[in-house]
Amino acid sequence: MFAHIFINRLKCLLRDRETIFWTMMFPLLLAVFFNMALLNVNNDEMFKAIDIAVVDDSSYQSDRHFKAALDEASKGDGRLFNLTVTSKDNADELLNENKIAGYIVVEEPIKLVVNKSGINQAIVKSFIDSYMQTASSVNSILFEKPNAQQELVSSLNERQQYVKEVSATNAEPNNVLNYFYTLIAMACMYGCFFGMREASDIQADISPLAARVNISPVHKLKAFIYSFCASLILHLFEIFILLMFLRFVLGVDFGPKTGYVILTSVLGSITGVSFGAFVSAIVKKSENIKIAILLGVSMTGSFLAGMMYQNMKYIVAQNVPVLSYLNPVNLLTDAFYSLYYYDTFSRYALNIGFLCIFIVVFSFGTYLIIRRRKYASL
Amino acid sequence: MIIKVKNLVKRYGDLIALDHLSLSVNEGEVFGLLGPNGSGKTTAINCILSLLKYDKGEIEIFGQPMTPDAYNIKRDIGIVMQNVAVYNELTVYENIDYFCGLYVQDKKLRKKLVDEAIDFVELSEFTKFYPKKLSGGLLRRLNIACGIAHKPKLIILDEPTVAVDPQSRNRILEGILELNRQGATIIYTSHYMEEVEQICSRIMILDKGKAIATGTKDELKAMISMGEKITVETYSLSEEQLSRLRRLPNIASAEYKNQTLEIKSNKGQHNLETILEFIKKEGIRFGKIYSEMPTLNDVFLEITGKGLRD
Repeated sequence: MFAHIFINRLKCLLRDRETIFWTMMFPLLLAVFFNMALLNVNNDEMFKAIDIAVVDDSSYQSDRHFKAALDEASKGDGRLFNLTVTSKDNADELLNENKIAGYIVVEEPIKLVVNKSGINQAIVKSFIDSYMQTASSVNSILFEKPNAQQELVSSLNERQQYVKEVSATNAEPNNVLNYFYTLIAMACMYGCFFGMREASDIQADISPLAARVNISPVHKLKAFIYSFCASLILHLFEIFILLMFLRFVLGVDFGPKTGYVILTSVLGSITGVSFGAFVSAIVKKSENIKIAILLGVSMTGSFLAGMMYQNMKYIVAQNVPVLSYLNPVNLLTDAFYSLYYYDTFSRYALNIGFLCIFIVVFSFGTYLIIRRRKYASL
Repeated sequence: MIIKVKNLVKRYGDLIALDHLSLSVNEGEVFGLLGPNGSGKTTAINCILSLLKYDKGEIEIFGQPMTPDAYNIKRDIGIVMQNVAVYNELTVYENIDYFCGLYVQDKKLRKKLVDEAIDFVELSEFTKFYPKKLSGGLLRRLNIACGIAHKPKLIILDEPTVAVDPQSRNRILEGILELNRQGATIIYTSHYMEEVEQICSRIMILDKGKAIATGTKDELKAMISMGEKITVETYSLSEEQLSRLRRLPNIASAEYKNQTLEIKSNKGQHNLETILEFIKKEGIRFGKIYSEMPTLNDVFLEITGKGLRD
């Protein structure tokens, strides 16, 4: 009986083009759009060396310490500045044409000429201030204790750190991943459309088809479970296609814990399908109203998890933290990000724990409603 | 006895949908439940099938109490719902096979039964069609095939001909009689009295959840005082002639409207002959004359004071 119901159910679901579009094609299309839109976000966020100029005059040439500091900050891949040594007139011209953030005039004190304020200008200013502060300290110490030269040099080399930095991860922070993770979470929740159909097709007070199944000599709950399995398997298949597409076509990084990523996807899929079944069982309204509720919950959850605006996730976590735990989309997103970013499992386990609670609530709630074998009205 | 229902009461709040309904269906008969919309036919069927909760009463099928878990009873029941209940994503063949498979697990036997059901409802040309491609009549036939493919002993058909063209309706009714000839006991609900008269061996008339009369169609018609209905097309009839006509023996009523004289007679012999003699004697010129025996609608009208389709 399992095979009979399961196979026929699978046929029905596979031929339901509308549901297949929303549960599989739509997330894939959205992934492509995300990829196109977010392609350069990480590059834009990376630090780029600041274009500056220094006026090449006798003061600059004679201040060999500052010259050396500036040269040092303008060398190598991780350099702070792209330095142009030029005349004052040329520096003015470069500044007016916005080709440099500002130019430095070496005099007493060292002067920074800018035509607007911004992050780059603040960094250059901070560099100059830091240099001048250090130079002033060194001069004062040497003036007070001319013999402390050796001691001073070694103390400059051994700057004392009073705070120890412990990294929770070896992974690079990535601003784009959260968008893709919310997309997977949303796709998982879209399993609700399968779940909705399963619950509708087993309750005689909702559909004549269900009445026909209820009259047959098959245990109602067994019929439901067999059909539910077909929905779940199909939805899992769709989620794996999405994962493969994200990983191998779009190159989305899931970190090294592949097994856990799959586990999270499975739990996400169960959450989505059981959520749909629960809503369908509990809401005694038309199919359109049920679809509106499911879409509304999934999309609101996705928005709050940061699908449209990444910082929303943090705004919610900061202002209404309980909402983060009541939103399955956020739990899934956070579980994926925890797997990618953290080396430990505590945060992942918390997310998965809450997700399991949702699965139990949805499944038990559905069971309580659909176990009825006689109806008050049809 | 195939079905025995005793004192069935079903309430929807203050509304009594079934009011101490009792009925019995014998093996091999075509039992009709006739009543206007909202009279409780479908509610009665749903209670009998243990789909609906009821407030009071006892239901036995095949001599055993009917419950939602009575799978041995359900195995021998076929149901054809009022609403078409098929999967739009499965073809005609797959739909029949699916529903038959809920009753019959043996694949070989199932294939044979499905093929027979397809032949029976004459859908052989449409086995690969999806339900959306079928006309209303073909869809109804598919609905019937899904309900009867497993060869049940008891078949319940709940208004299977609603919104069906006359040709398909006749095929469906012939099919039901054929199923009965093959040994199935049938319960047929409808508000079309002509259908019930045509196929049912015994009829129960329902109104407001109550059984108001039960019997064969002749027994039901014998319950009322009305005889035949005579209609005369005539172009001239004076008030005096109409009064004299009303005074004839066995005339229950006579009305003249739109050049048509409608006479309802009480039971009795030679009513038509008496009226023809009167027309001849009075020199009334007439076109056509029709005589109809009382219908189940007349039975319903006389008992309840309203028509079946009011």
